[in-house]
Amino acid sequence: MLFAGSAFSQGKTVSGTVKDDSGAPIPFATVTETGTKNATLADASGKFVITQKGNGTLTFSATGFKPAMLTPYENPVSVTLVKDAYELSAVVVTALGISRSKNSLPYAAQQVSGDDLSMTRSGNAASELSGKVSGVEIRQGNGIGGSTNIVIRGTKSLTRSNQAMFVVDGVPVDNSNTNSANQTTGRGGYDYGNAAADINPDDIATMTVLKGAAATALYGSKAANGVIMITTKKARKGLGVTVNSAIITGSIDKSTYSRYQNQYGAGYSNPAGGTYGAPLPNWGFWYFDVNGDGTKDLVVPTTEDASYGQKFDPSLMVYHWDAFDKSSPYFKTARPWVAAAHTPVDFYENSLSTVNSINFDGANDKASFKLGYTRNDEKGILPNSRVLKDIVNFGATYNLTDRLTAAASINFSKIQGKGRYGTGYDKQNPNQNFRQWYETNMDVYEQRDAFFRTGQNITWNWADPSKADGSGLKPIYSDNPYWTRYKNFETDQRSRYFGYASLNYKATDWLNLLGRVSLDSYDELQEERIAVGSVAPSAYTRFNRSFRGYNYDLMANFDKNLTSDIDLKGVLGTNINRTEISSVFSSTNGGLVVPDLYSIANSLNPISAPTENYQPTEVDGYYAGATLGYRDMLFLDGTIRRDISSTLPKGANGYNYFSASGSWVFSKNLASLTWLSYGKLRANYAEVGSDAPWGSVKDIYANVDPFGSAILFSLPAQKNNNNLKPERTFSKELGVEMVFFKGRLGLDATYYITNTRDQLIPVNVSTSTGYATKIMNAGDLQNKGIELSVNVTPVKTKDFSWDLRLNWSQNKNKVVALFGESQNLPLASFQGGVSVNAPKGQPYGQIWGKTWVIDSATGQKVVGANGRYLITTSTTNNIGNVNPDWIGGIYNTVKYKNIALSFLIDIRKGGSVFSLDSYYGMNSGLYAETVGLNDLGNPSRDPVLVDADGKTMPNSGGIIVPGVTADGKPNTKRVPNIGGTYGYGYNPAAGFVYDASYVKLRELSLTYSLPAQLLEKVKGIKGIDLSLIGRNLWIIHKNTPYSDPEENLSSGNYQGYQSGAYPTTRSIGLNLKLKF
Amino acid sequence: MKKLLIVSFSLILIGSSCTKDITSLNEQTKRAGSVPAETLFSNALKVLTDQTASCNVNNNVFRFTVQHWAATTYQDEPQYDFSTRAIPDGIWSRMYRNVLNNLKEAKGIIEADALLTAGEKANKLAICDIVQVYTYYYLVTSFGNIPYTEALDYDNLFPKYEDAKTVYYDLLTRIAADVAALNPAESGITAKQDLLYSGKVASWAKFANSLQLRMAMTISDFDAAKAKAVFEAANAGAFSSAADNAVFKYLATTPNTNPLWVDLVQSGRQDMVAGKALLDTLKSMNDPRLSLFFRPNNAGNYVGGVVGMNNTFGAVSKPSDQMALPNFPALLLGYSEVEFLRAEAIERGFAIDGTANGHYDNAVKASILFWGGTADMASTYLASPDVAYATAPGDYKQKIGFQKWIALYNEDFQGWIELRRLDFPKLNPPVGAKSGFPNRLTYSQAEQRLNPDSYKEAAGAIGGDKVETKLFWDKF
Repeated sequence: MLFAGSAFSQGKTVSGTVKDDSGAPIPFATVTETGTKNATLADASGKFVITQKGNGTLTFSATGFKPAMLTPYENPVSVTLVKDAYELSAVVVTALGISRSKNSLPYAAQQVSGDDLSMTRSGNAASELSGKVSGVEIRQGNGIGGSTNIVIRGTKSLTRSNQAMFVVDGVPVDNSNTNSANQTTGRGGYDYGNAAADINPDDIATMTVLKGAAATALYGSKAANGVIMITTKKARKGLGVTVNSAIITGSIDKSTYSRYQNQYGAGYSNPAGGTYGAPLPNWGFWYFDVNGDGTKDLVVPTTEDASYGQKFDPSLMVYHWDAFDKSSPYFKTARPWVAAAHTPVDFYENSLSTVNSINFDGANDKASFKLGYTRNDEKGILPNSRVLKDIVNFGATYNLTDRLTAAASINFSKIQGKGRYGTGYDKQNPNQNFRQWYETNMDVYEQRDAFFRTGQNITWNWADPSKADGSGLKPIYSDNPYWTRYKNFETDQRSRYFGYASLNYKATDWLNLLGRVSLDSYDELQEERIAVGSVAPSAYTRFNRSFRGYNYDLMANFDKNLTSDIDLKGVLGTNINRTEISSVFSSTNGGLVVPDLYSIANSLNPISAPTENYQPTEVDGYYAGATLGYRDMLFLDGTIRRDISSTLPKGANGYNYFSASGSWVFSKNLASLTWLSYGKLRANYAEVGSDAPWGSVKDIYANVDPFGSAILFSLPAQKNNNNLKPERTFSKELGVEMVFFKGRLGLDATYYITNTRDQLIPVNVSTSTGYATKIMNAGDLQNKGIELSVNVTPVKTKDFSWDLRLNWSQNKNKVVALFGESQNLPLASFQGGVSVNAPKGQPYGQIWGKTWVIDSATGQKVVGANGRYLITTSTTNNIGNVNPDWIGGIYNTVKYKNIALSFLIDIRKGGSVFSLDSYYGMNSGLYAETVGLNDLGNPSRDPVLVDADGKTMPNSGGIIVPGVTADGKPNTKRVPNIGGTYGYGYNPAAGFVYDASYVKLRELSLTYSLPAQLLEKVKGIKGIDLSLIGRNLWIIHKNTPYSDPEENLSSGNYQGYQSGAYPTTRSIGLNLKLKF
Repeated sequence: MKKLLIVSFSLILIGSSCTKDITSLNEQTKRAGSVPAETLFSNALKVLTDQTASCNVNNNVFRFTVQHWAATTYQDEPQYDFSTRAIPDGIWSRMYRNVLNNLKEAKGIIEADALLTAGEKANKLAICDIVQVYTYYYLVTSFGNIPYTEALDYDNLFPKYEDAKTVYYDLLTRIAADVAALNPAESGITAKQDLLYSGKVASWAKFANSLQLRMAMTISDFDAAKAKAVFEAANAGAFSSAADNAVFKYLATTPNTNPLWVDLVQSGRQDMVAGKALLDTLKSMNDPRLSLFFRPNNAGNYVGGVVGMNNTFGAVSKPSDQMALPNFPALLLGYSEVEFLRAEAIERGFAIDGTANGHYDNAVKASILFWGGTADMASTYLASPDVAYATAPGDYKQKIGFQKWIALYNEDFQGWIELRRLDFPKLNPPVGAKSGFPNRLTYSQAEQRLNPDSYKEAAGAIGGDKVETKLFWDKF
């Protein structure tokens, strides 16, 4: 314990501040007149006033700190407490920004420090949460600036958002994802990211995850999916300046991308299925005169976007696509028939990011301020892709009087994207070509050179080069991939302000009043382009959207010792939450007039009316909560809230929340157990409600473009409902926290059951009802799970320490009920005849599709008379489930003197993913699996040869698919290895479902902090840290061929499906942090 | 200060809790809460026509089924794989949701409209019902048993399927009643909103009667007496010339072009080429429609593509240039078809005017004229022994079936019905066929997921949810 001061005349009243060794105040420290029952609590800013009865010493204690005694010599006193050997993250910010000692918390709340969230400087604090908190499942696709899926304790809503709520310093920050339904179901579009990415990672002090309903009940319906509470950094005394700079480069992890067979080129078939015109044996080529010499030439069939064609033969000279490109050195020139030297792997570039931030802060007795600026400039692995983020944050407090404090903060961010990656089954996604429909003879660098040579859409995929007039020299299915990237790029921007202004009045020593107005406001613009000359009709679309969120809070906090043993804390308040979403979507019609002019006015045909939306909502809430504490050992919590929502029918739009919780610090009763440093049991129960999506009550009609002068309207896809009632969630939770051996081992375990009933969801209905969906109260989804966090310090010496943090969680969900006689709720249907479903009695997220017919006796796949697998006609077979069995993270920190090594291993066990890339790519013969030798030792793609007696000849190609015939005998029928043999042509969707488990070395950082002795010589610099940082360096284990099991289309409920999947970016960089 | 703050805090707390009706925020301010009934009717009619006109492989693939067209590269649908692209789901959803339910809604609004005269109301309701009958005919002949009386009810989320025959006979009753209800002296759908007949009620009556002829003939093998009765009652009021054709006139600008143009031209793709079976027939019989249906390959020759096999675009013929115009009209029912029906009716002994030969000639001629040929071309063609009714090979079913197969070019859904009913011409199965000849479509996959009990019951009732299962009227 340290304190400064000189002699101090003995007095009755002592005031002061309790701080930690960094100078930050310790809230709610207990100040006791030593040896008496006279005690008080410090407030949230560490300030205390105690009236001494005698002249003795004071004892200061706070959870996580070593208690200290001192005899005050001055008034006010400044007391510094030293952290205890074990730390229970002494103070946790809970719902509504109420700070509580972790000791008294009756529910699970896991906290992560800001430094841990910006370790690899990815610029996205949400994705850096992966593996660091139990019970939180993060999924991050590989697109640049893509959205992060953050689901806490499993999927609760069958069809609506399950994303956690973000709150920054008490301000709810909207985390919408505006990706279209087409985008999230793999039908094309861009992943524009989600709005939580606008939070400055370098300004985060801590992130607290409130997982259960009891923890979030005071927040009302918006917190139904759990809350991520972000507390930004506090200003410190004096002036501080921190500069943090990183440069990071990345390249693709080739294990997550296609590797191509290099034996056969363009084509779909072999002679059995038709030739392309050239006489045998050159069946795989077109046959027409290219060079004008009057004789017909062998031409690569440029329209055939598969690789089931003729076998490569370097001695065979053929005309490739570039023979029809006037600018090419191979114009009208034959080249050898060989596999491309540069495959699509070479299409990917190295990514490059720079992250620079500077933060100023300062404080004195009256006021504090901070000002920060961060710029994150990321160039992606695809050509012409860039996301630029600028974030400025400013916050200040001023003590108007001793009791009245004004505070305000404002954050401004601007995100600008250009060339985000096209997703799904769409021409703007080069992977639709590269991973599904591709000719292995196509050299990506040749395409690059052709584009940069001409600026034109010179594609390998000519529609019809045989046409004498050249009118067939246009792309048929695929644009030149460089054209796609440089001409058909999107741009987007989002400008955002969020912040608050508050007045805090300390009415008495036990009553605190807070009034706060907060704002979250952003405007975004998404522009998409298709250039004149592309396969798709040229087009320009723009989507303007604005979000406004206003929160008005009035809150009274009180904290009173009823007796010296019993403490009562309470809160009473009201919150008005108002949001407005307004958007306009407009598109050109039928094409563009002037090339490269992207304006709605440049539409070829008169435009369709823009689609407007205006969706205001309001929720008015009133709440109260109380915590009764007994000797810092027993705590009882109760909260109640009532919300009135604008989105439910009048008269049925009010609903209540309750929570009751208790905790018992049992270690206080077991003081004799010296190995047990701390132990707490906690239990809680909560019921919370939720309202409907905006506009669910009254029926409307959908606009349709007029037909000439005729006006058209249509019923909408959704039937609304004026009999809606609030949705209810019931949650039970039991937990234990224990610390052993003075903090060398800590454990936090939680078990929970949550049921979300009467869900307010649009349910898919049989379209023979006349609608696609109907909004109703339907369904009961149960989530049961276990969360485990363990902290271990196996080694700790003066110079060396090793800390290990383990997080593990398992969530099992079950669809308990749907509606009426419904046995299943389809969530989404995807290309490939695959759907994701919520069947009654089973886990949410079942992947359904066609599967093999299985012989019940042998368990083998049944092969039909044609030698191919028999496939079910029904599409309701369960072929996978998107939910992992468990997820976990192992976070290691090893420190030796000034060097710290941290790394995170992120693990997901189980869960399935369907790959449309395999479904098509195997079909079109891109991968090694589709070539090779058969059981006779001959190339399997050779034709099947039988002699006159019908016996297989020894030089026959073809394969015998493993399985049994209808009578259970092993299949012996030889079939040709033609297009479709390994793909969807002859295999069910079940053949392309993979286990999505992974073990990843997610994060790594090696930091060297310049020793203090060295720094003393440099005036003004308080610290220099130099780090080597890496992200996604190594996928230690996975089961998905040619892809990253984590890759997805977007955040949201539709997981377990990949189409045109992007590879993982392995990134490595340097970071320099300077503190002045 | 302190008191002031506490007082104002309390006041705000109380003030904010004063009751106010925030549910007004939930009102729709950007979408119509009520619309004129005719706008729903016009939209339903357009969606229905788009479905029948389209050649998109996700919507309407029957041009492959009747082998009028072949595909260049992607052979799933030509090889009878309708599930990869969930063709039945699309048809099911468009017909019930976008066509039938909008018509039902239109009817409801018309019924409730107090300003209409009884005659106007009856006309508008009957016209809506005629389009509903046309749509249900499409569904019941595609699938078999379908949701019918329990359909289009948002309070019944698990509609039962009804016996196809029962549905079919009810449709016959309905359309007869519609014809009876139409009164040409009163106005119907306004000219502006009537995209088929520009408000002419009499034309709708002719259309409904012609539809009755088609529907009667479809069941003529199954229930000759019923077919005869319906046919004879409706014949006089049916189409008497090509001027009566149910032609949907697409516009030249997106998004109201013929969907054919979207897939043939705008998409830049070249999936669709002439089918060898039809093209070789046209060529060998010197059919004047050859150049009206198709354009030659790059070398200037007419070559058809084999259905189910890869076909090199430049080497084979393509749909004709006129079909690739954005405003190429779509035919929902034509005079040529009606005349074929009459020819067959006479052969079947139905008591109507004329001779089989005469109606047959009219039918062929009407088809040639519709596609842009001349009367002379038709006479020459009809004079050739392979075509002339007297000398053409086969019995009446074969003669009519064969010529109807040609004449229903670009009306391939109906062509598929006639191919199933008349079983002529005999077409070779496509290369690599994934099933037997489709006698129906399997049910929508979504029904298996959403309405499983009704689905299973229906699948059992019709003899299995397979494409090969024959429907009740398809006796031979």
